[in-house]
Amino acid sequence: MRERISRRDFLKVAGAGLAAGAVLTGCGPDSRYIKRTPYIHMPEYTYNGLSTYYATTCRECPAGCGLVVRTMQGRALKVEGNPFNPVNLGKTCSRGQASVQGLYNPDRLQQPFKQSRGGSNRQVMTWDEAVATVKTALTVSQPDEIAFLLGLTSDHLADLISEITSALGAPSPYRYGAFAMFEGRTTLAKAAEQLFGTAAIPYFDIGNADYVFSFGANFLGTYLSPVAYGREYAKFRKGNSTGQRGTLIQFESRLSQTAANADIWVPVIPGTEGLAALGLGRAVAENQGGTIPAAYQSIDLPKISQSTGVDQDTYQTLAKLFTEAKHPLAIPGEAALSVSNGFEAGQAILALNLLADNAGKPSGIFFTPAAVQAAGSSLPNTLQDIIGLVEAIKAGKIKTLFIHGVNPFFEFPDLLGFAQVAQKVTQIISFASFPDETALQADYVFPDHTGLESWGYQRTVTGADRASISGAQPVVVPFTNTKATADVLLAAVQAAGGNLAQTVPYKDVVEFIQHAIQDLLNQDGFYNAPDMTTFWAQWQQYGGWWAANPGLIPPNTAGSLVQTIRASEAQYDSGGGLYLFPFMNSPLSDGSSVNKPWLQETPDPTTTVMWNTWVEIHPDTADKLGVKDDDIVRIVSPYGEIEAAVYRYPAIRPDTVAIPFGQGHTAFGRYAEGRGANLSKLFGTRINAAGDLAVHGVYVKLEKTGKRHYLARMESRIGVYGKFQV
Amino acid sequence: MIAIALQLFKKTSVKIGIGVIGSILVIAAIAGIWWTQQPPPQPIQFPHVMHINLGVQCLYCHPGALRGPSPGLPTETKCWGCHQQITVRNSEINKLIDYVKAEKPIQWVPVAILPDFVYFSHRPHIAAGLNCENCHGEISQMTVARPQKMNMGWCLGCHRTRYANDPVMLTKLTDCENCHK
Repeated sequence: MRERISRRDFLKVAGAGLAAGAVLTGCGPDSRYIKRTPYIHMPEYTYNGLSTYYATTCRECPAGCGLVVRTMQGRALKVEGNPFNPVNLGKTCSRGQASVQGLYNPDRLQQPFKQSRGGSNRQVMTWDEAVATVKTALTVSQPDEIAFLLGLTSDHLADLISEITSALGAPSPYRYGAFAMFEGRTTLAKAAEQLFGTAAIPYFDIGNADYVFSFGANFLGTYLSPVAYGREYAKFRKGNSTGQRGTLIQFESRLSQTAANADIWVPVIPGTEGLAALGLGRAVAENQGGTIPAAYQSIDLPKISQSTGVDQDTYQTLAKLFTEAKHPLAIPGEAALSVSNGFEAGQAILALNLLADNAGKPSGIFFTPAAVQAAGSSLPNTLQDIIGLVEAIKAGKIKTLFIHGVNPFFEFPDLLGFAQVAQKVTQIISFASFPDETALQADYVFPDHTGLESWGYQRTVTGADRASISGAQPVVVPFTNTKATADVLLAAVQAAGGNLAQTVPYKDVVEFIQHAIQDLLNQDGFYNAPDMTTFWAQWQQYGGWWAANPGLIPPNTAGSLVQTIRASEAQYDSGGGLYLFPFMNSPLSDGSSVNKPWLQETPDPTTTVMWNTWVEIHPDTADKLGVKDDDIVRIVSPYGEIEAAVYRYPAIRPDTVAIPFGQGHTAFGRYAEGRGANLSKLFGTRINAAGDLAVHGVYVKLEKTGKRHYLARMESRIGVYGKFQV
Repeated sequence: MIAIALQLFKKTSVKIGIGVIGSILVIAAIAGIWWTQQPPPQPIQFPHVMHINLGVQCLYCHPGALRGPSPGLPTETKCWGCHQQITVRNSEINKLIDYVKAEKPIQWVPVAILPDFVYFSHRPHIAAGLNCENCHGEISQMTVARPQKMNMGWCLGCHRTRYANDPVMLTKLTDCENCHK
């Protein structure tokens, strides 16, 4: 029987409960008072309750954007762009904003240790022991038995290591990583060399253009220097210099963040961006009249139209736009370059700028002068070089492998077999700040500071309108018992003594940086100083150095269009009927930032998916396969397979599936581990003529698994494009 | 469940029991409220009274009050600046010496803290000519600082009294956004 409770009884019980709750749950001083930990010695120019700002450089990607970090009582609170730095002029991207979560990451490696590979038997070491270990590694092995594998950030470290290796007679450090792999940076530089004689990454002056033809360049997302190009894009759209709103035409098989902003999206067949550029070039040359340049003489537009899957009328319309435009600009992007025909495609696309006669002119292409010359090559290595390293390891020629700033066990194509051959290296010394896959497989881990605790510098590859170099300084005292890798190496070098210590005589990283940048004292800079002490104060104040006036190098165009450009088809490894279109999106990018929950929670710019890997499939293809949103499918390439949830995406070619890179970590801390799938399992190792990996190089097939996983996404589940299918 | 509890509730013995427990709770609640008004334990029984009587100005140790929102707690460097030259007279100074030698921060417990949703800066209050003791009580009579009543009514009471004859300032200083930005 159900009794009715009277109002009076209810109030009695509720009152007693409330009173007990109030007394028993913290009304005491402990809940009201907290302890404050004041400084023992308060730094100069610090005031209680007022923020102190430090200028430094972002280390989340190689672009080298300047940051100003707000700190309060020794804690970094907020990251903003450095308004003086010519790369980003006060702007940042989401990754830069999230860099504080690297500093405060709960999974950071806090002290040096040794371990058995795989992470067991960890034994904490002191830094003296760590330095002694590095010293032994540098001196006991033969010079050619040592290899350094570095990422694309931390240019100062690469320069220092180049000095050390050349003093030792060891091979130069390898610099590679997902950015080099996906963006085909060397391919772009070598294509530029083919046309202009300079092997460097060009600067594309989007801000002064009126028509931009982007061939697979996601320059608003991740490409080369996305903050700089995003800023220039705003000028282009507003028509600041041309007086009219700029028009963006994007050739890309999948609607990327940049394509989504374009006025015209041309979904070409993957790997045919270069052919499309040749077809467009031919039509433009015909429109311009006169002799057709050699590069386009053998181009047959109907054939190109068939190969690229874009009808001839579209080419004619676009060619008309290109011909009539006052300031057209063509940009070769990652989807065009990291393909087996990327080298030719890069040339074909760059050549369009010659038709437009914009090289070295506003809205055209330029090269960025180096403020400080690199000790080695300023370009990253290619997959071909890395294959060489893997072969050397396989042959037992490498005894000690130092790894910093790159995660080869995660980023490199599985097919390369890095994980297997690494067993042959006698010792792997990792300088990782986080427990990533590589740190787990190392014998020694000597954690570096995170970017906001570090000294350093980063060259501006592209994006600035003048010679510049971004300087990094610690904005906080390191929180844990980490040590700058440059300092560890310098201490080891000094301990080794002899010729090595004499050739590399710096006492610490600051002395090395001051030595590396001392030539800037003689150049006409944004600030000038008679001696290093004064210069260094301003270097720290402004977060780097840049020239007083804008100035870029115009390319040498003599005879560029005389040579022919081969109209080659892209090669794909067979294995299924669908092109695999791997991509980096802005929050996940190369996968080195996915241990930051802010970035995991940042929706993908086009699909709004968060916290996972998804596979974008055209609804027609999905219907043929019989898969709905959130169905898990197995993606099978000739080399491996992964599973991911389906996202039905109307803005992709029906013969293509696209998957973002970055997730699928098996280590790397609580926010990254065990979510999504790692695309590198699917990759082949086909390389293009410049030696870069053809990231776009495999066909895949999809298999239903019968499982489902509801993707977290910000857009309505009912869907923008129709009813959500349950 | 509630029905069974109510059945029990009607028995006299249970009523007495609940009465006893209730009384204990009420006494505990009163004690709890009293407890919240007590100063928290501090690492060192710092005698404000002695320092003020020796002529040390408040702003000497809490200079941030002049410049910004927070007056700040003195660093050990500041304490030690004087105390390294002063004869050790009691065990509290020995505690300071221990902290300084160990280079460990003294973890003070501030007693005048406002919730995070209140924007408060000392600077305009000092600029308006207020003295520290107007809000913090007779610090010159205290050893460790004692908590004072600092709630919204108290803030507004002062704002209203001081600017009763200045409608412009009164409007500004009684506006919600003035403190809850």
